Amino acid sequence: MKNFAVLQLSGCAGCEVSLLNADAWIKDYRLLYMPLVVSAHDVPDVDVLLISGGVRTDEDLYKLRRAIHHAQQVVAVGTCAISGGVANLGDRDEVRALFMAHAEEHHDLPRLLPRSHPIDAIVEVDRYLPGCPPTPELFMAVLSDPDAFVAGRTVCHECGRKKLKDMRPQKLLGFQQGHVDPDICLINQGYLCIGSSTRGGCRAPCTRAGHPCVGCRGPSDAFIEKESEAWFTSIQRVFAAMTDVPEEDLTAGLRSPQMALFLFQFSDYAGGGRPARLKEKVL
Amino acid sequence: MTTLTFPLSRIEGHARVVIEVREGAVLSAHFQATELRGFEYLIKGAPAEQMPVIVPRICGVCSTAHHVAAVKALEDAYGIEPPPLALQIRELLMLGQLIQNQATSLFIFTMPDRLGVASLFQVDAASEAEAASGIAVRALQVRKAGTDLIGVAGGQFIHPVKAVIGGVTSGITPSAAAQMREQLQAALPIACELFDYYWETSVALGERLGTWGDDEPACYISAVSGLRPNFYGDAIRLVGCEGDSCALFPARHFREYLSYDDTDYSYAAKSSYQGNVLRANSLARINIVEQLGTPCADRYLKQFKATFGSPAHAILLFDLARGIELVYALERAIELLAAPLDVGPEAVPYTPRDGEGYGLVEAPRGPLIHHYRIENGLIAQAEFIIPTVHNVLAIERALRVAANRYITADSVNLELERAVGRVVRAFDPCIACATH
Repeated sequence: MKNFAVLQLSGCAGCEVSLLNADAWIKDYRLLYMPLVVSAHDVPDVDVLLISGGVRTDEDLYKLRRAIHHAQQVVAVGTCAISGGVANLGDRDEVRALFMAHAEEHHDLPRLLPRSHPIDAIVEVDRYLPGCPPTPELFMAVLSDPDAFVAGRTVCHECGRKKLKDMRPQKLLGFQQGHVDPDICLINQGYLCIGSSTRGGCRAPCTRAGHPCVGCRGPSDAFIEKESEAWFTSIQRVFAAMTDVPEEDLTAGLRSPQMALFLFQFSDYAGGGRPARLKEKVL
Repeated sequence: MTTLTFPLSRIEGHARVVIEVREGAVLSAHFQATELRGFEYLIKGAPAEQMPVIVPRICGVCSTAHHVAAVKALEDAYGIEPPPLALQIRELLMLGQLIQNQATSLFIFTMPDRLGVASLFQVDAASEAEAASGIAVRALQVRKAGTDLIGVAGGQFIHPVKAVIGGVTSGITPSAAAQMREQLQAALPIACELFDYYWETSVALGERLGTWGDDEPACYISAVSGLRPNFYGDAIRLVGCEGDSCALFPARHFREYLSYDDTDYSYAAKSSYQGNVLRANSLARINIVEQLGTPCADRYLKQFKATFGSPAHAILLFDLARGIELVYALERAIELLAAPLDVGPEAVPYTPRDGEGYGLVEAPRGPLIHHYRIENGLIAQAEFIIPTVHNVLAIERALRVAANRYITADSVNLELERAVGRVVRAFDPCIACATH
């Protein structure tokens, strides 16, 4: 029986909660360390080490560097570990000073690093499992046979909504406004859905439920080894082809630092200059 | 002076307990939350309408509660009343959250303390505790009924998306509702069986320890009260040590009743009521509600009140109260799913406007408030009033009691480490939320 551990850095535990729902691993794996569900003080030697959360504090950094030597294979799970995640919006210049000042009122606690880091900025990663969080199915795939996992290239391919040629919205509705038709493509309805270039494999639960894709799985294979600009441009091309939304509205929607792509990929795209992750490594 | 540090596991998030001792006298017992991501700062400047997507990421365990609280706060700011269908779907969301959370806390976090194992997942099938591996599978089945309910009502079970400003994106089709109902009906007897076993092992634990966790009485706080708790939440009730009602107030008045203190040794604040120690979470609700309104849950409630009195104060009773609520949430969701959930408008139209809004829900850990101030459509200021923060003073007081029990001038009884774990887990704190 193989064994595995889960190292939890600064995150929300959503990845761990998702893993708990992928309960089929109970038959094949022994879980040796995961603070959320196991009382054990340190990462022991394991076949697979899943790492969730970003490197936000000096304690995260220390735990990560220590744990890595105990693992045969290292998997970065969730957007925080891979590309920053929502919590990385705290590294925006306009809020950082306030945030750090608040942190510095505390003592005898792990210190915040000047900025937070995805884990591959610190250690080598064998495989990436993006998603906020990755679905239980994706967790099972990474623990069993990742190469056998079959998925649509993008969320769009997995969504199942009908695209209509003659339904061209004039303006963006944003995430929240309006009545959602259950069967028609959300772009046709005027929503800023970025499923057309977001990595597939989640089976599109959000768009199926009537909410635009917010891109938590990150770029699809076509864009993952490229600069963020390629991803932006692709989305803009899709909207130009399917809608009559003015280009400046779309640019404002996509490129404001809090919107869409930046929501989950902030540390990658905010001047990080990180080397590309190879698509072969990303599930 | 000696400093004892206890790392904590089987709770949500990163925290530790630090107890300082001099010659057998306990000087202090601190509950330290050791993580910080800065959500109140990082959402400044973000479009208000994105809150229901961003703020669930405060916590993967409590994401549903944050999702609904965010939507309610924005609706409060915009002056919107969502339609009845949306309210039904949102109550189902909160019930799914409750099932998931109480099953996790009972069986995954605290059951190992009753069985003397490190984790439900580490039980060797050949060992004496063989029964426990059966417990793991059944516990996950009950828990999954809750997460699947969130999935049906919310689109996905972590960081759900279906609650939107004005209502919900869609209802639940009759076939999906029927299927979900069957799954919950199958989970209910299993939950009762597991809870009966949990109750038995808790009694055995209490007998072995000679206590259910003795502690002084406290004030209790909850957003549910009366005859049939609705975790969707409308107003906050405070009751005193004797169960006497002290206050009933809407979320927007919370500052008039609650004080917040920051400490320099923890990234989580602590709240109090007129200098009194507060308690939120399961025991607070069980002390405050008169009746749950579903048959099995009310039977357990009656047995609980007959055995332990009302209000009950012992710490390990938080865990038993959680079991009663697990049964209630399953029963109540089964009831709600019997009604049509795809009839009537899903949402009402709205016009965004600037201003302030408060959103209150009763999360599994207690009353949760989101407060936003919106300027030019962007978040100018945000506050998250987190249920765990109401319990921090109570946790530290209970830790001092445990420390005094197990520390003498000559030695520290090794039971202290286990007691620290039991005390903290009874309050089921959520550190990701408390620090946010």
